[in-house]
Amino acid sequence: MKLAIALIAALAFAALPLLTSSNYIIGVGISALIFTVAAAALNLIYGFTGLLSFAQLGFWGIGGYVTALTVVTFGGNFWWGVLWAALVNAVVALAIGYPTLRTNRHAFVIMTLTFALLVTLIARDWVDLTRGPLGIPNLPKPSAFGYHFATTAQYYWVAWAFSVAMLGFLYALCSSRIGRTLVAIKQNEPLVRAQGIAPMPYKLSAFAISAAVTGAAGGVFTFHLGIIDPLFLDFYYMQTFLIIVIIGGAGSFWGVVAAGIALSALPEMLRFSADFRMIIYGVILVVAMFVMPTGVAGWLRERQIARMREQLR
Amino acid sequence: MSAILQVTELRKSYAGVHALDGVSFAVEAGSVTGLIGPNGSGKSTAIDCISGFQKRDSGEVVLAGNDITGLPAHQIARAGLMRTFQTVRIYERLSLRDNLAIAAQQFDPATWIDEFLRTRRYRQAVDKAEVRARELVELIGLKRYWEIETGILSYGQKKLVALAAALMPHPKIVVLDEPVAGVNPTRIREIEVALAALNRAGETFLIVEHNVEFITNLCHRVIVLDQGKKLAEGTAAEIHTDPRVLEAYLGMTPEMAEAEMRGAA
Repeated sequence: MKLAIALIAALAFAALPLLTSSNYIIGVGISALIFTVAAAALNLIYGFTGLLSFAQLGFWGIGGYVTALTVVTFGGNFWWGVLWAALVNAVVALAIGYPTLRTNRHAFVIMTLTFALLVTLIARDWVDLTRGPLGIPNLPKPSAFGYHFATTAQYYWVAWAFSVAMLGFLYALCSSRIGRTLVAIKQNEPLVRAQGIAPMPYKLSAFAISAAVTGAAGGVFTFHLGIIDPLFLDFYYMQTFLIIVIIGGAGSFWGVVAAGIALSALPEMLRFSADFRMIIYGVILVVAMFVMPTGVAGWLRERQIARMREQLR
Repeated sequence: MSAILQVTELRKSYAGVHALDGVSFAVEAGSVTGLIGPNGSGKSTAIDCISGFQKRDSGEVVLAGNDITGLPAHQIARAGLMRTFQTVRIYERLSLRDNLAIAAQQFDPATWIDEFLRTRRYRQAVDKAEVRARELVELIGLKRYWEIETGILSYGQKKLVALAAALMPHPKIVVLDEPVAGVNPTRIREIEVALAALNRAGETFLIVEHNVEFITNLCHRVIVLDQGKKLAEGTAAEIHTDPRVLEAYLGMTPEMAEAEMRGAA
């Protein structure tokens, strides 16, 4: 049932460039798709495994830079760039995850935040590689099998195919025994150990996969923008991913996907009032958190549990 | 009968205080063994060291002929020692069914590749675990909560879920840390009956508990710890009349204990 709805939604999204010729709306569509993927990746490590990682911002930035540099500096193509973005991020995540995941959850948050800030510094100050604040402009749109994804509408298909593939992969992962084990680790780590499961490989893999997907998403998004500079590491992105996960319901795959699409579109729909739109957006978020502190999915779930209790009485 | 668990000269100290000062004991296969003692006598430290949740200073633990001394907790579990915790630990936001499925997961041969391809090996493993889970749920009387999040259960019911989870992978021995502490008397009786039935079916238990009546009814052998040392060992009846035990553990003379027992009966 859920899968059928997801399939119909995916096909509906594929049709967006056929319904409108506005580059603006299609651009919002691309953001929605890519942000949803990045949020779903954050959901894997935060929602499922219970580890709040601010490193996502760093992975997003590294992914963007690696993809851009692959094409511009190292003469590769876009597809290899995205693949490299995923691989480099997975390796970086393993390297920083191995020591930091041994610390407690609070230390993990601080260390991932520090990592994200460090990446920002590198992007700004390693001028030889990243061109510093100037950034790398004029990123060429990719082509495949002789077809050039030159316009925004054409590039939309790339973003769409990428998102569907990544969300499909993350869904398969989250709904498997591996996903269930991650939830178990989040809920009661000592019990997991008492049941013969070593938590570390699970946490490390979740972190690395989350990093790889976020990095690849960053790569795809960079080529939509056509330029990468240190602003690509603006905290705005981290905040967006986090809001999507929290409003959607941390630990709920479909909740986060739905929130990803809705919350990417929401600030744009509020453009009828240019002066107040961010204020209205903020108010909506605050009210949502008051009414549904565990997100939309958590709220639905609590109602379901309440019904169960009622039945058992 | 042979010893399934052999603990030799276990030592552990915290900042100079000897929590365990050379404790040795054995648990026979197929038995129910009680580990009792006053607060701070080292019971919990002992089972934490045995199950790998704390590092021991010295001593040896052998499970079914395998030296498990100093292994990390998850490897000790894989070797066949399952435990429960004093403060009940279950996955409160997962269904009873998932709680039990996870408990068995590490013990079946199916890998994530098997799962992804839905191989026969995966399906068999899942089916087998499901059969075992349903059996246990029947036994602990929580059948109607099968699909329900365990967080809504009562404290005593949660303890039963933890017990069932520990039994899922057919362990060689189950270590129960205060299985009836904080549980209401009717439920205690139910747990007692369930444990006795499981023991008749061949399960081996090591039980840490304060409830003397519960221990007396259930245990073949009782080990008494006091100040990190083994004070006495014997059948429940022997322990009840051992003056050292009465002095240290119950803080009373044999005559007082006699009266107490008559009162309880």
